[in-house]
Amino acid sequence: MNLALAPRPSLVTLEADEAFVTLDGVTKVFGHGKSVMTALESVTLDMSKGEFVCILGASGCGKSTLLSLVAGLDNPTSGTIEIADGRPAVMFQEPALLPWLTVRRNVELPMRIHKLDAAQRNLTTNRLLSMVGLMDFADHRPHQLSGGMRQRCALARALAQDSELLLMDEPFAALDAITRDQLHDDLNRIWQETGKTIIFVTHNVREAVRLGDRVVLMTPRPGRIAQIWDVEITRPRELDSFEVSGLASEITARLRAGGAPSDATQ
Amino acid sequence: MQRSRLRRILHGAWPRLLAIGILVGIWQLLVVIGVSTPGGLPLPGPGDTLAEMGYLIHIGVLLPALAQTLERAAIGYALALGVGTLVGLAVVRVPVLRAGVGSLLAGLQSLPSVVWVPIAVLFLSFGGQVENAMYFVVIMGAFPSIAMGVMSAYDNIPPLTFNLARSMGARGPHFYRHFVFSAALPGYVAGMKQAWAFSWRSLMAAELIIGSVASSGLGPILDDGRNLLDVPEMFAAVVTILIVGVAVNDLIFAPMERGLLRRRGLAPA
Repeated sequence: MNLALAPRPSLVTLEADEAFVTLDGVTKVFGHGKSVMTALESVTLDMSKGEFVCILGASGCGKSTLLSLVAGLDNPTSGTIEIADGRPAVMFQEPALLPWLTVRRNVELPMRIHKLDAAQRNLTTNRLLSMVGLMDFADHRPHQLSGGMRQRCALARALAQDSELLLMDEPFAALDAITRDQLHDDLNRIWQETGKTIIFVTHNVREAVRLGDRVVLMTPRPGRIAQIWDVEITRPRELDSFEVSGLASEITARLRAGGAPSDATQ
Repeated sequence: MQRSRLRRILHGAWPRLLAIGILVGIWQLLVVIGVSTPGGLPLPGPGDTLAEMGYLIHIGVLLPALAQTLERAAIGYALALGVGTLVGLAVVRVPVLRAGVGSLLAGLQSLPSVVWVPIAVLFLSFGGQVENAMYFVVIMGAFPSIAMGVMSAYDNIPPLTFNLARSMGARGPHFYRHFVFSAALPGYVAGMKQAWAFSWRSLMAAELIIGSVASSGLGPILDDGRNLLDVPEMFAAVVTILIVGVAVNDLIFAPMERGLLRRRGLAPA
């Protein structure tokens, strides 16, 4: 098993027409009989390797359901999900750190489970901890960290899983605006350094525009893709820059309009 | 440094010292009022009881009896821990068992374990050997707490922990080692702590009833005091039993639980 974190020339190896993640007609229905609820209706989406896709939508639009299907935590009612490279790493809205382990041991955990030897584990853990800026807190326990630090630790742990695909379920939703802004910068940098493919679920329009190569807008009941935008603003992006605000208000307008899929997909 | 530490210990201890002081005060008051048995035997005071304990130690009765009782408690508790853990794991792992056995355990826990004493004597004492019968009573008293501790510990693991384990691909032994056991530990220790109280009670009941027949221990001292109308001896036994119960909890289980919770940020440092 290769170590995930060697910086790789992601932009060179990226082949646009080779899909890394393929969702084809993915439908998810919960419940039976009268209480049946269609969470997702024929969602079709291709992602290429190294791409950063933001799934955007109001709560209840099925975006988290979509993520848990891709994560393999649940199965679609119909349709197929194909991932070119094994099991994706997942980062949840809550840090979900194990409270009895130190920061270092939390980050190490996926490598322990996958039986990497101690030397390799140490090397990778140190690199990840300094990547997320937690080297000085390696021996702290989760309850001694701030909310932002906990999510950095969760990010390092997800990266330690050596998966090409990283799924993020509103990971910064519970943080204050300043901390979130810092984590956006960090995530942008780490994504560029590692060349991971990221699916990032959010209900925050600006967050989606700031981070994504593409923004996929979903509308609820039933959850389906309303429109997709390619974000061609140069990185790193500022949250309140003119371009980010402009596209964000366009998407917000579309979000307010709600309803059926648009033909005006760019 | 040394002095401030001493002060901190004293500071933490004073509410407890106050409580003991009030208890001893009430006791002494009853003695002063002149409480006695219908037969005219006076209530021994705290001082008399302490003196009696000193005397029982001096003549070599109290400490061997204490050692004997503690040995029984340790063996009985260890057996209850084993049985309770196995039953708890079985109930957690096998869905069919959960509904039925779960409520049965709650029933067993509320059943006073002293009711098992006559049955245990009948079935388990071979040739005057009563130790097995006492272990049985302790197990029946304590194992439901352990088993229910295992169940509630498992049930209280957050669903997110299971999702996390699955997303990391942790299966089989890895899943149990890295996620389930550690996550369930505080609940398990809480069950262990409660089981100690139950096993100590059960053992005292068993010793009081069976012990006088064949062997020594704190229960037999109490029984001996009753037979000989030696009231100070009875009080000496009761105080010793109380001290042991409190000491085991305060010196073993409470620190274990506190340390565990503190490391997880669930208790004040």
